[in-house]
Amino acid sequence: MAPDLRRPFPLGPRGFVLAGLGVAGIWAALYLGLQPSDLTPSTGGLSLARDFFARAFSPALSSEAAYVPDGTPGLLALSLRAAVTTVVYAAAAMSVALVLGIVLGFCASTAWWSGDPLGGRTWFGRTVAPVIYGATRVLIGFMRSVHEVLWAVLFLAAVGLTPLAAVVAIAIPYAGTLAKIFSEMVDEAPREASHALRAAGASGMQQFAFGLVPRALPDMIAYAFYRFECALRSSAVLGFFGYETLGREIEQSFVSTNYGEVWTHLYVLLALVLVFDAWSGRLRARLAR
Amino acid sequence: MSVSAHATESELDALWRARPRSRFVRVSFALFGLLLVGSWFVGDFDFADSFSDTRARNLDRFLDEVRPYPLRAPGPDGTLEPLPWDWGVFGTWAQQRLTDGVSDRDTPGGLESALGTLAISVLAIVLAALASLVFCGFAARTLATPRPFAPHAGPAPWPRRLAWQVVRGATRIVLIVQRSMPEYILAFLLLAMLRTPAWPAVLALAIHNCGILGRLAAETIENADPRPAVALRALGASRTTIALTSIAPAILPRLLTYFFYRWETCVREATVLGILGLASLGWLIDEAQVSGFRYDEMVFFIGLGMVIVLAGDLLSAIARRIVRRAS
Repeated sequence: MAPDLRRPFPLGPRGFVLAGLGVAGIWAALYLGLQPSDLTPSTGGLSLARDFFARAFSPALSSEAAYVPDGTPGLLALSLRAAVTTVVYAAAAMSVALVLGIVLGFCASTAWWSGDPLGGRTWFGRTVAPVIYGATRVLIGFMRSVHEVLWAVLFLAAVGLTPLAAVVAIAIPYAGTLAKIFSEMVDEAPREASHALRAAGASGMQQFAFGLVPRALPDMIAYAFYRFECALRSSAVLGFFGYETLGREIEQSFVSTNYGEVWTHLYVLLALVLVFDAWSGRLRARLAR
Repeated sequence: MSVSAHATESELDALWRARPRSRFVRVSFALFGLLLVGSWFVGDFDFADSFSDTRARNLDRFLDEVRPYPLRAPGPDGTLEPLPWDWGVFGTWAQQRLTDGVSDRDTPGGLESALGTLAISVLAIVLAALASLVFCGFAARTLATPRPFAPHAGPAPWPRRLAWQVVRGATRIVLIVQRSMPEYILAFLLLAMLRTPAWPAVLALAIHNCGILGRLAAETIENADPRPAVALRALGASRTTIALTSIAPAILPRLLTYFFYRWETCVREATVLGILGLASLGWLIDEAQVSGFRYDEMVFFIGLGMVIVLAGDLLSAIARRIVRRAS
């Protein structure tokens, strides 16, 4: 293809971004001092990898520990109990995050304020509303910028190990993320219905609630389901910090080199995520229709 | 269902009854709601314990210790009392954290770790994107068929149909398993096998995000306008030619958007993976806490992580805007 002579630079903006990515990738590899040869495990690592992956198709069905005290539940019971705890933490966190996410998301959307839900041309709309809008956006950014594991580490240091702290740790960044995405979805929803309502004399609040939100709702529901799937993973990972979720079982079994048990717990986690993935995938397809 | 400009009561009623309904969606909602509410009754959330005096005292002590160490001094009863705030003292202390890391511990400086966090996230997402480009073509229903973009060609013989179905199914299973595994657990497992400080983090992030980007890319291919590809096919173009000349340019802007969204997540995750002892900020956060409960330094490094994350979000937003303007 002949070069486009109107362009002063041989790369378009997109090519520029791609080239930048290549340079960034090379810089990162050099900065970390990474060699592809480091990818071959050391002798110890190699035998460990062999032992570990050998058990992939023969996960343990009962405890592999040399000594099992009387009264300990069986491996499968243990794994299932950890799975239930994983789901419970994720669901509790999600229930908080959803409520917060909707409230903050609406406050952080321009449609909520420009649709004059509280009368944008009043004194309130000109002074207080922009402050609430801006403050909400800053708050969302703050909640999102700390990872749920770091929130958990902070709460561990501040108040100690309590299940409620795990729930709050997941709920804070998730509420921020939900709020950000919800506000974008409401702002990008088609406006015709809301305009028609305004022409019919609906108030700002009515336009927002009955014109805009129903258009964005299918996307919002689909995204909430996707985030629940993420919450399951986050909840499992918190097990590494002392909570009784699947992560703890995985860590303990791996550290005591009971690799068959590790695979059992991994498969339970995989099943959990896959079931939810299939459920939310089907729901997304239904809602898109 | 047509409704006149002045709909009667019965017309509106009929319209309402003909609205799309799905039992699956209703049952899903009920179950999901039950799950969210029920979790509070099933879980062992001990509210009395969570808000007990002991917890309050813990929090009180923690908030005292978050104040930078040089801004505290032993009081009359031996505990550290806060000194008046001094930006100069704070600045010196902050600078030491940026260059030396956790005090009295053999850790890299905060700045070096912050750059390491960025480098891990960048390398991981670039590797994930490259790998997902290979996967996505084999996972897309429109491309991974015996006769792609040939609407009038009729069905291919069954062995070829079956072969492509197997390829597509296998690719999708690989992608779904990749994205189902949390990065942290992947890194934990890889760390035991690869004893280099950065590869486990890079690979864990790359594997998880390859699964996500691969799925999104396959969906983008399936939703792309088929007409240019059909036209090329009619001219006798091969599958590879179609993929490279018609589909790739069409889906690139969207893929770049997904790429930058995922990179934002990667920066957050890369920070955390350091807790396993890998070359990112998480290492300093963990060291500061584990070694002598230096909560002031821990909070400082968490704050540094926030700066990195916000900088990444900003950079990503700029890049996405450039891509959007260009397309």
